[in-house]
Amino acid sequence: MLKASLQSRRSVLCNSAVGFGNLAFLHLLQKNCRAQDGAPTTSGAVEPSGPLAPKPTHLEARAKRVIFLFMKGGPSHVDTFDPKPLLDRDHGKPLPFDLPRVTFAKQGNLLRSPWQFKRYGQSGLPVSELFPNVARHVDDLCMLRSVHGTNPAHGGALLKLHTGSDQFVRPSLGSWLTYGLGTENENLPAFVTICPTLAHGGVNNWGAAFLPAHCQGTPIGNASLNARSVGVKHIRNQRIDPRNQRRQLDLIRSMNQEHLDTVGANDALEGRLNSFELAYRMQASMPELQDLTRETSATQRMYGIDDPVTEDFGRQCLMARRFLENGVRFVQVTHSDSEVQWDQHGNLYAGHTKNAGEVDKPIAGLLQDLKSRGLLEDTLVIWGGEFGRTPTAQGNNGRDHNPHGFTMWMAGGGVKGGYAYGATDDYGYYAAENKMHVHDLHATILHLMGLDHQRLTYRYAGRDFRLTDVAGQVADDILA
Amino acid sequence: MSDHVPISPPGCGRRPASFPVTGTGRWSIQQSFLLRCCLLVSRCLLVCLALRVPVLLAAEDVVLTGSEQQEAASPAQLEFFEKQVRPVLVEHCYECHGERSDGGLHVNSRESLLRGGDSGPALVPGDPDSSLFVEAIRYENLDFQMPPQGRLPQAQIKVLEKWVEMGAPDPRDDTTRTGLPVGMSIEEGREFWSFRPVANSPVPDLGTHAFVKNPIDAFILHRLIEQGLQPAPPAQPRTLVRRLYMNLIGVPPTAEQVDAYLSDASPRSTQRLVDQLLHSPAYGERWGRHWLDVARYADSNGLDENLAFGNAWRYRDYVINAFNADRPFNRFLIEQLAGDLLPDATAETKIATGFLVLGAKVLAEPDREKLTMDTIDEQIDATGKAFMGMSLGCVRCHDHKFDPIKQRDYYALAAIFKSTKTFGDTNTGAIKHWHEYSLESVDDMDEFKLIDAEIARLKKEASDWKNSAITKLRAAANDKATEYLMACTKLSVTDSLVRISEVAGQYDLHPRILHHCRRHLEFNQQHEVFKPWHQLQQGVSDPDQNADAVEKFYRPLFAAASGGQVVSEPSAQDAKIKSIVLPDAKQVAAALKDHSGFLTIPPKPEFAFDDETLAEYNRRMEAARIYESNARDVPAAMGVSDNTVLTRLPIHIRGSHLNLGEGVAREFPTVMRSSEVRPVFPRHQSGRLEFANWMASTRHPLTARVYVNRVWRWHFGEGLVRTTENFGVLGDRPSHPELLDWLTRWFMESGWSTKNLNRLILASSTYRMSALHPQKSIASKIDPGNRSLWRFRIQRMEPEQIRDSILSISGRLDAVMAGKTVPLRNRQFVFNHTSVDHTRYDSLRRAVYLPVIRNNLYTMFEQFDFPDPTMPTGNRSETVVAPQALLLMNSDLVIDSADVLAQSLLNLSVSDASRVEMAYQRVLGRPPTGREARRAVDFVSQVVSGAKVNAAAVDEKGARRGWLLFCQSLFASNEFMYQR
Repeated sequence: MLKASLQSRRSVLCNSAVGFGNLAFLHLLQKNCRAQDGAPTTSGAVEPSGPLAPKPTHLEARAKRVIFLFMKGGPSHVDTFDPKPLLDRDHGKPLPFDLPRVTFAKQGNLLRSPWQFKRYGQSGLPVSELFPNVARHVDDLCMLRSVHGTNPAHGGALLKLHTGSDQFVRPSLGSWLTYGLGTENENLPAFVTICPTLAHGGVNNWGAAFLPAHCQGTPIGNASLNARSVGVKHIRNQRIDPRNQRRQLDLIRSMNQEHLDTVGANDALEGRLNSFELAYRMQASMPELQDLTRETSATQRMYGIDDPVTEDFGRQCLMARRFLENGVRFVQVTHSDSEVQWDQHGNLYAGHTKNAGEVDKPIAGLLQDLKSRGLLEDTLVIWGGEFGRTPTAQGNNGRDHNPHGFTMWMAGGGVKGGYAYGATDDYGYYAAENKMHVHDLHATILHLMGLDHQRLTYRYAGRDFRLTDVAGQVADDILA
Repeated sequence: MSDHVPISPPGCGRRPASFPVTGTGRWSIQQSFLLRCCLLVSRCLLVCLALRVPVLLAAEDVVLTGSEQQEAASPAQLEFFEKQVRPVLVEHCYECHGERSDGGLHVNSRESLLRGGDSGPALVPGDPDSSLFVEAIRYENLDFQMPPQGRLPQAQIKVLEKWVEMGAPDPRDDTTRTGLPVGMSIEEGREFWSFRPVANSPVPDLGTHAFVKNPIDAFILHRLIEQGLQPAPPAQPRTLVRRLYMNLIGVPPTAEQVDAYLSDASPRSTQRLVDQLLHSPAYGERWGRHWLDVARYADSNGLDENLAFGNAWRYRDYVINAFNADRPFNRFLIEQLAGDLLPDATAETKIATGFLVLGAKVLAEPDREKLTMDTIDEQIDATGKAFMGMSLGCVRCHDHKFDPIKQRDYYALAAIFKSTKTFGDTNTGAIKHWHEYSLESVDDMDEFKLIDAEIARLKKEASDWKNSAITKLRAAANDKATEYLMACTKLSVTDSLVRISEVAGQYDLHPRILHHCRRHLEFNQQHEVFKPWHQLQQGVSDPDQNADAVEKFYRPLFAAASGGQVVSEPSAQDAKIKSIVLPDAKQVAAALKDHSGFLTIPPKPEFAFDDETLAEYNRRMEAARIYESNARDVPAAMGVSDNTVLTRLPIHIRGSHLNLGEGVAREFPTVMRSSEVRPVFPRHQSGRLEFANWMASTRHPLTARVYVNRVWRWHFGEGLVRTTENFGVLGDRPSHPELLDWLTRWFMESGWSTKNLNRLILASSTYRMSALHPQKSIASKIDPGNRSLWRFRIQRMEPEQIRDSILSISGRLDAVMAGKTVPLRNRQFVFNHTSVDHTRYDSLRRAVYLPVIRNNLYTMFEQFDFPDPTMPTGNRSETVVAPQALLLMNSDLVIDSADVLAQSLLNLSVSDASRVEMAYQRVLGRPPTGREARRAVDFVSQVVSGAKVNAAAVDEKGARRGWLLFCQSLFASNEFMYQR
């Protein structure tokens, strides 16, 4: 049913030249022409459907949309999804091999996990008692146990994970997907990020950088705000009643139409004429999508919205699902509270207990809900933080940042379920088998979405840029 | 895990201490030709030969030697290769080093292995320990590991080692091409248009033509005639006056100013107006902002750690003053790159060097050397783009793939920048501070020490208060330890906080602590102290009975552990209790004391504290923040100074500071040098001054050209070269090369004066053309992009113009100039981990003074194509997106301004028709047509009658509402937003 409605919506949109994003797509063409130095292409060739229209993929797409469940601060893999029995055995002993040349903080001896692991499902994959609800879906999860990045500080690692670069401002993953795929619903942003963190890269983590403006993620609130009350900036007008605003838009339309008649055909001016209508519709559609009271109470309970502990993240997840099923291409939700996040240099036990308690049920609810709606098969769910944590201790109840090997997981969207890919060493410090660099992760996500990371390029300042820079390898083993 | 298979950690064997970890264990993949010019820093750290300098051997020699050395391989050796070696190479290496040559390495022949890649020969036949190939597969060096996805099985490693040891017998033919495609040679480069000396173009002689007011017009008309085009007629005076105001000072003329211009019949009236506008201080505010785009100006670092640049405003004001004072551009350049080294250096010229410090840096990068080289890269890139229209950053890892710039050129410049000090000696935790010049004597520093102490005190007060509140909570929880365990018997581990709160209420407990406690019991079922809690409840379903049993068991234990009076041993009457092993008293005491134990205080204050305590904590935190935000800064300026002077710097192979090659001396990029004679650099200075002087020379092929093109762009909305930052091979070619050179020469002859150049351009018929053309349809067919300038280009206002115009028209604009405007103390966090957004943009001063907060730009800036303030930008975009409409419809800025304008119209006792006329004059600079006026009056009366209830007061409100909506509509109209 969803597919059918998307189809019809798409065909409607193909006939209209406007979208949430860049309405003056002629400008986009001009921009490309500029980039291609002396030989501009004819700027008269305007695609009828604009830059946000769905585009053909390079490959057969296994997933149509992505939800990234981002755990800000760096959840510990050895306490969640990557059990290390040798940590129990060698607790208190020094790491039997060298530490990295650069570490974020001073490292102590090995620290065992305070949590027990149990095997779940048919696959028998182990999950710690921090995630009992997610564990029930383990047969849908594809554990990536050998992810590694390059930067041991939050800012660098967030930027690396979201944009592929911890040195320059570069387009974010969601922006690249928007650029490559367009959107299924031009009345909505193609890329939404709910309650993102403003620290550690902030906007850059959902920014379009040099990609066209319509590829930019649309933030809904930020991490310091309650998901109950967040919205897109300027989406509401408390000062002018809708009837008068409608009148006003009619006035603006007739003024602009007359102006256009004077100036003559002009894509930017025409695009702008339509942008007011679209904005007016968005004023209604965005709050409607965010309105969770339209969901049954059973659904709300499934996401833990009835429990203050899980309410906030549950709202984010449910809102995300509503965006996804209405054609938003990429939704990120962020778990990042105001104080502790997942950054347990100390107080590992209480911090991780609290954090996992807040996300476990909502995530399980999301997986369940996506599955029962038939959405999971073409929705790629990604879970993870900017890095993992060290198996060595900081103090007696904490762990340092560890970008050298950690776990993320995927579900749905064409990945093997109940499958563990790659491994860290015996203690969980370094990725060791089937290592998956962040660039590889990006290459794999693009691949699942039908894009070849080596062909998804954008020319800017005399260079063709890629999300994966000059690296990236698709992890074929995880493809279902 | 019972079936756990031990996995060997990588690199657990020998590892040279100097090797880094930052790499990813993979040679870079270079797939597409274009991408080869990419900067690959993080992944460049892979191939490390720090201990093997120098490595740049002549490739041909190696090939020859290697070929000659291979003796005829025996059949047994070849069989070994085919059966054992080739399969491993094919399976694990060919993907990246077969057809492709990642890292410059092919492995599909013996010759290619001997030739090696970027890090040198991969193979030393007969000597595995000296072969990079073997080092990589051994996986002992964390930064030099192949294949990247994981270590080969030990058996395969042994095979390859053995193969090398036997001399690497290999029957394969060398079919690989040698060498990568390279960019232009220096000689070719000197013939490329932008590197050729600025030509002395003759002005086309077109006889007398009404269009030709000055040589610019001759060049333009010549081209138009060639193409069979006619220039558009002159713009209407009413249009021109608005164009000049918007272009030069960024706000429209008032109705009176329009009238004054229109009624000035003198033939010199336009020139007079131009002079008047060029002398307005607002000129610097508008044109200085253009340069701030190029200088990637910002008031915060952005990137990883967003610290306030509390002193960046001094650079901003310096730029505004420089434009108002018409500082010659060559001098302006020198001040920004080397103002500290000038013989007549002043505070102002040091402030100018802020240009080099303003870039976004990864301030928390723990690898100091990487940070240094990344920062130098940013400086070289910004300098190259801003002044020379060159992307020099591409050359960090390898010779430029297109432009005639070599890696040697890059490191010759990098040596100059490495001799420059960009970082200070202080830090905030892991976050490094940039270099600043103190502008005040040390005597005054005491005041700032006091301020710092006060900030520290306020912060400590807040945290002390929090800690003492936690201590109280902890004591209260410990007193009720037994009750917590009793309450837990009534809860399942999955119960919601709603249910937990009910039970907590029954026992007067903290719900969040109880929530944690219940989970703790679940996680610690085998713990000596908590095992009994589970045992006590076995087989009993009555929660009250269980709570009783738990009480009887634990109360005496806790009392004893707390040093209280032991009431009694756990009741002996109960058989069940008797059967349970009593935990050790020490363990009980430890459990009670454990801050991360069963009575853990919630780590988040919102969850731990009651409303009153929380409010007090927040109040104290906020007091500290506000005090810090408003505290006076040490008067200082961001700027660079000289560091220890390096006269040579090694080439960093693949851009990695861990893989050093041959050293190069300080030098200017070869292709741009006008003389074969090598420059002499002072031994005790970085060489920045020499570099700046060289760039500011009239003989430099790029500097003046690039700047003149920028000025043209800022007048016409499009450069003669559209890629204002790229004059290289991949950049645009000039639409009018002769004109560009003529203007460049004229500009230098006129003393590099921006205002003279402005005057010349503004006096041309070309600038004064109409945006409307009588034969538009024909002209658009011949030249759809208007590259030959057959009409003036319609331009969307920039966000500063939009905002300042709206404020100016409504009479709200605050004209105060200069000074600090970022509402943060220097180096204060814009955002810390809390993500609480304290940035405000409600100031009514010119937009150039609004803080430019990286990672959190003012929404209006962001929506209307303000440039990314981390990249030099000379050519802003003009997009149209729906959120722009939302902003105009719903933002306070627009509504408030429309309201003020509406009120000022209503204050006049005139007819509605006159009000409409005034509104049109003020907002659009023209009277309305009769139709427009009628439509506006109708609109207002519709809104008013819609709001009408009865009472006169409501009518008044309705009237104001109606006029507000009308004025807002004018602000939102295309006619207002687009300049022509």
